[in-house]
Amino acid sequence: MTKYLVSRILRGLLSVLIVVGIVMMMIYAFLDRRTIFAEDPVYSKQKSNAKQVYMMQQWERYGYLDYVPYADYLAQLLSRGEIDGQTYDAAVKLDRTPAADSGTTKNYVNQFAQEYEEKGYTVVRLKGDTQGNSQKYKEGGEPRLYAHRDIPVLTRLWRYITGIITVDNIHNAQGDVGKRGLTFTLYDPVYGGEKFSPAILGNGTTHKYLLYFDNRFPYIHQNLVKVNLGLSYSVNKGVDVAQTMTASQGSFVRRQVTYPTGVVEQTADDLHTATYSPGSLQSNPLKQKYFVDDYTNVSTAKTGLSRLGYSFTIGILAVVLAYLLAIPLGIAMARHKDKGLDKLGTVYIVFITAVPSLAYIFLFQSIGGRLGLPTAFDMENPSWLMYILPVISLALPATANLMKWLRRYMIDQMNGDYVKFARSGGLSEGEIFRKHVLRNAGIPLVHGIPASILGALTGAIITERVYVVPGAGNLLTNAINAYDNGVIVGVTLFYALLTVTSVIVGDVLMSLADPRITFTPKGR
Amino acid sequence: MAEEKPDLQELGLPEEVLFSPADRDALAAERIAAPRYSYWASVFRVFFRKKINIVLLALLAVLLVFTYVYPAVTGYDPEADPYINILDSQSKHLGPGAAMERFGRSLRWSLGTGASGESTFDAVWYGSGISLSLALVCAAINLTVGVLIGAVWGFSKRVDRFMTEVYNVVANVPYILLISVVVLILSPSFWSMVFALTVTGWISIAYFIRTQVVIIRDREYNLASRCLGTPMYRIATKNILPFMTSVIVTLAAAEIPAYISYEVFLSFIGMGLRDMSLGRLIQSAQGAMLTPGWELEFWSPVAVAAVITVVLYVVGQNLGDASDPRTHL
Repeated sequence: MTKYLVSRILRGLLSVLIVVGIVMMMIYAFLDRRTIFAEDPVYSKQKSNAKQVYMMQQWERYGYLDYVPYADYLAQLLSRGEIDGQTYDAAVKLDRTPAADSGTTKNYVNQFAQEYEEKGYTVVRLKGDTQGNSQKYKEGGEPRLYAHRDIPVLTRLWRYITGIITVDNIHNAQGDVGKRGLTFTLYDPVYGGEKFSPAILGNGTTHKYLLYFDNRFPYIHQNLVKVNLGLSYSVNKGVDVAQTMTASQGSFVRRQVTYPTGVVEQTADDLHTATYSPGSLQSNPLKQKYFVDDYTNVSTAKTGLSRLGYSFTIGILAVVLAYLLAIPLGIAMARHKDKGLDKLGTVYIVFITAVPSLAYIFLFQSIGGRLGLPTAFDMENPSWLMYILPVISLALPATANLMKWLRRYMIDQMNGDYVKFARSGGLSEGEIFRKHVLRNAGIPLVHGIPASILGALTGAIITERVYVVPGAGNLLTNAINAYDNGVIVGVTLFYALLTVTSVIVGDVLMSLADPRITFTPKGR
Repeated sequence: MAEEKPDLQELGLPEEVLFSPADRDALAAERIAAPRYSYWASVFRVFFRKKINIVLLALLAVLLVFTYVYPAVTGYDPEADPYINILDSQSKHLGPGAAMERFGRSLRWSLGTGASGESTFDAVWYGSGISLSLALVCAAINLTVGVLIGAVWGFSKRVDRFMTEVYNVVANVPYILLISVVVLILSPSFWSMVFALTVTGWISIAYFIRTQVVIIRDREYNLASRCLGTPMYRIATKNILPFMTSVIVTLAAAEIPAYISYEVFLSFIGMGLRDMSLGRLIQSAQGAMLTPGWELEFWSPVAVAAVITVVLYVVGQNLGDASDPRTHL
């Protein structure tokens, strides 16, 4: 069994890899890379040469290419001591055209071009863009020189896969941070240093708090291992997909917090999220009031759940409701085959199967609205009432599907010889259905349970859109509409992992529920 | 014992003919006397036995006339509709009564006018034509490819091993993602939509057919047929395909409404066609749903989509039931 499972998991992971590879190939190789700027306000403000440079910078950031500006190359030479400051200052000045450059500049420009062309880069020189006949450059029209080289999709895939999980370590922070190392404390300084609350703090790590407790579910948190699914470009600019899905939303929640300097204040800052930001303490006098080191980059605590949290809450409630409704109804339909209830149930199943989901979700919304239920989600004034309509909208179709199959399986089982035997043995109909038919008919349904639970995590696209739920379901469609390629890849990976896991767990559950099912050839 | 005996006198035949010994024909003795059986005649006999099917077929015919004939007759074109007048706020969002009062009594205004003064009735049927065509084309392609590949997949062990691995990968790609990425790369036109919906859509049908073929392939009668030296091709077309007819019809019945739903869904999330399909109509009229007096603009495309899919689904399911020879008794 273990051997079989390991091989299933490995094959599952391989297929996830292939899926992500295919998607990456599709969006990075076939899609025009300029589309990522479609929703970028900064891009539309850039002019002339600066626009080209901005595009290069963004493409480098989002993994399309390697980009080296001439000035960076010179700065590198300077830091290696190959040139002195004076030469640097002279060489870095580019004139309007290559022909007008000074001798020193020409020298280093040639050296730069030669070195990078040898490495397979394309060297680009943008002429200065002047206003009319004057010598003044237009806005963003300064001459530019840089080299760039495309990154092949396979390299990207490799970089992406290897970068999914990162472990924080004490050599991460650049610059002088003092003594690097980990400290363990029983009294978390955030709570004033008196309340018992163990925490592991790091110095030299990216995150200050590597492990800590607080009053939010699941109470123990860690920053040591981070999952990176890919940077977002426009949906949540510069933030990782995993972070976008799991960060809390809504309005700020203020609590009493003790800052490292000892200042106690009511604030929404969540000091547990502090990350290293080199030089931030020096450059910002405001921060010096609160912080003693460069771990000043904190995010804020908010009242609402995360995207995943809302999707999962609604999804799981819908799953539970669907099973609670479908099992008794399915049994009743099978028991009273071709009677009124069965016919009514069949009409309902046909309605849900045939009618576009959009139509009945809107129908539920308008019926619910007439009854006075809230038809839109409101994070600021949360109440349990606003969950009702989304949960019902998700549960009713799921119920129809479960009912359909349970009825089918039960009717198939009812013709079994063992049922006739049980009946001749004098068992009551109720006993036969509960103890014999249901147990056999339920086995194929067990297989679907993990899929429906994990499926709750992905959220529901239409339901969340119609009821304005800030959930995870819309992430993919938003990303596609905004050409946010990083998010598309990240969400694909997430979906593919969930599907593979749910199929494997479903198989295992099925073999647990029915001892006759085994996956090892020697099992019997 | 009041058994009725045929009156031989009535036949008017001479005694010699009536009582002469019959020839014993060895060939005729081998022939099994059975009533004439035509498969499709029986299918339709069973199908029309249910009165509800006649009603549904009539409804389907009406829907098809409105979907394909009506727009052709009126020559409606959403790009060049003479009634579209963005500046004229008087003719926008009218109810049926107000629209008829303004433009005259006609079927065209029976659902009022839309956001730019166009006739909702015309727009809905034009849209349903696009949606239905898309569904029919996609279902035809997917079923043809799916059934053919599924049959080969079920028969050949070598193909089975390879295709199962392919299926495991492709089934993991979220369908929405694949469609939207294809639409993103190409353009949201009719044929690129068809491509997006069929590029992997056939694989689940092929998998379904494969399972059915595997079940039937090793039945005893096929084993016997193979022992008698029947070529594989004959087994496939004569022994297995007839068994699959009802499965394929049932599958087709579920496929066509499913593609209409897909189209509506994709258009709603902004990834659908550029043409004014039902999905586009629903998406663009979404705001009208909650505005008093404008509800018809939103609910008419929704209702048409729902009625078309339900009718197609039920007719198809009943036809699928009827094409199962076991119901022909």
